Amino acid sequence: MELTYWWILPLAAAAVAVSTLLYLRRRRPLPTRPVAHGDRLTGLPEYQHALRRYRIRLVLAALLSALFLLAAAITAARPALRSTEQPEIRNRDIVLCLDVSGSMTSTDAALAAVFKDLAKEFDGERIGMVIFDSSSVQLFPLTDDYDYAQEQLTHAEKALVDGAGWFFDGTWNGEGSSLIGDGLASCVQSFPDADTNGTADTNGNEDTKRSRSVVLATDNFVSGASIFSLSEAGALAASKNVKVHALNPSDMDYGDDPGQPGAQLKAAAESTGGSYSTLESPDAVPGIVRQVQETEATSYLSAPRSVVADAPAWPLGVALLAGMGMLVLGRRTGL
Amino acid sequence: MFIFAHRRTLSLLDGEYGSVFKGRSLDFDELRTYVPGDEVRDIDWKATARHGSPLVKRYVAIRRHSVLLLVDTGRNMAAEALSGENKKDVAVHAAGVIGYLACRHGDDVGLVHGNASASRYRPPKSGEEHLERLLRDIDSSISPKTHPSDIAEQLDYVLRFIKGRMLVVVVADEVLPDARTADLMRRLRARHELLWLTVRDADLAPGPDTPGQQDSMDVGTGHGIPLPLAADRAVRAAYERAMNERAEQRGALFRRLGIAEQQATGSDDVLTAVFALLEKHRSGALTSRGGAKRGQGAD
Repeated sequence: MELTYWWILPLAAAAVAVSTLLYLRRRRPLPTRPVAHGDRLTGLPEYQHALRRYRIRLVLAALLSALFLLAAAITAARPALRSTEQPEIRNRDIVLCLDVSGSMTSTDAALAAVFKDLAKEFDGERIGMVIFDSSSVQLFPLTDDYDYAQEQLTHAEKALVDGAGWFFDGTWNGEGSSLIGDGLASCVQSFPDADTNGTADTNGNEDTKRSRSVVLATDNFVSGASIFSLSEAGALAASKNVKVHALNPSDMDYGDDPGQPGAQLKAAAESTGGSYSTLESPDAVPGIVRQVQETEATSYLSAPRSVVADAPAWPLGVALLAGMGMLVLGRRTGL
Repeated sequence: MFIFAHRRTLSLLDGEYGSVFKGRSLDFDELRTYVPGDEVRDIDWKATARHGSPLVKRYVAIRRHSVLLLVDTGRNMAAEALSGENKKDVAVHAAGVIGYLACRHGDDVGLVHGNASASRYRPPKSGEEHLERLLRDIDSSISPKTHPSDIAEQLDYVLRFIKGRMLVVVVADEVLPDARTADLMRRLRARHELLWLTVRDADLAPGPDTPGQQDSMDVGTGHGIPLPLAADRAVRAAYERAMNERAEQRGALFRRLGIAEQQATGSDDVLTAVFALLEKHRSGALTSRGGAKRGQGAD
């Protein structure tokens, strides 16, 4: 708690002192009527009682007005809260990268549902969505229009649950199916300010400081020739500071041969600094997404920055209460 | 109108009051045996014939009386009267009316006035110029800056220093006489004719629609009385009760002492108050003739 214009306080004190001085000097006695035998009234116990209450009220009124003045002066001095914040927490970009081949729809639906819920809590994050099979379709680009994103995610969830319809149009334009490398690459490309040089901009402009992550849901069963292999796509992601969090609903790896699809996916994800998780069932999706969210949140705390915010609430509140108290007293006392 | 005298005057100058002396008037007093030197025309021949020896008629001489205005000119009289006027004006007005009546009646008017620290005496003289001087005296000596009032000092002064019988008219405010004052009043009542005109004090706790809606200041003590306090309902109720009680006490005291007392609220009813006072005094004289010494029932 500090005061932005601390010099207002001595100024206000001086003003109060000067006005008090002027008042005392120029005060004229109020016109009173002279009466005799005042003890006819002042001797009454009722009067003494009333006088005591009257004095208490006057003292109270004086205290309240002093409090009011003090609170008003403090408010005028603009009390501010200096706090340290980590504003970076909230500027993440997340692209949902969903493999919509037949085996994946239930996981995709769960993911869409989870992000639909998450979008309600988003504030500053941007979310985008890309679906792919043999070719990729950007369902919606990175956006902070959460209503829109939510609407799209609702559509997506519905379509994914139904498993058919126009929703999947445009995902079979290539040869083969489940071209994971191409899908991931196009997801990475959907970050709008992708550096053309392909080098990570570590000390660069503001926008690249936004954390980027791709939530990739795939089983990594590729059939067909893709332009980007998975590892190339991973390298591309790494070069653009994009973390890939892979979710694999059907990790069928046996042993620790690195050539197996699950291991490849894991290697690609971890090469970008992301994570890899396998899913036993679509029900586990929310938990994993939360986990990913949390690691993202902790890993993107930037250097604490001090923030000064006005905090006029409590002095204004005190002034308000004091003013109300004075009004009540004034009504009751007839001042 | 004149001030009725219960007892005969001691004055030697001609006037309108029955005197302790014998003289020529219409007021037959007694018959007594003729002594050499009595005027022959005073002989009551019928009575002489019945009696056998000469008797002369004697009449009450009519002489002047002196009216003594006893006015409180202390600080209290600079305060407000019940009507909202200055009590001083009401007092001057009342003294003027009484003095004028006395003047027209051919009586002398004197003045004793003062405050707690000093009393001043102006001996009775006749004439409106003298009365004018007395009224000016009263007017100039009452101010909020003089000493506080104490009517007992003036009563004491009259008892101590003024010889002879006078018609004493007290003009004071609504003071509640204490034991000493009551005793002085009793003694004064025994020696002189005593009439008491009260100038009523301001209402200290006026209602919301009556005049006096401002803070008050007790001229006696200098303490202020804030209006919100005086306007408080409980305080007003208590004040009213206390005032009724006080009025009763005062009335009982004056009744017990056999002093005619009348109250004037302002200049407007000074005249009626003075007339009522004179009438009360006269009728009190009639009813309490027998027991005038103890004076029960002055009204």
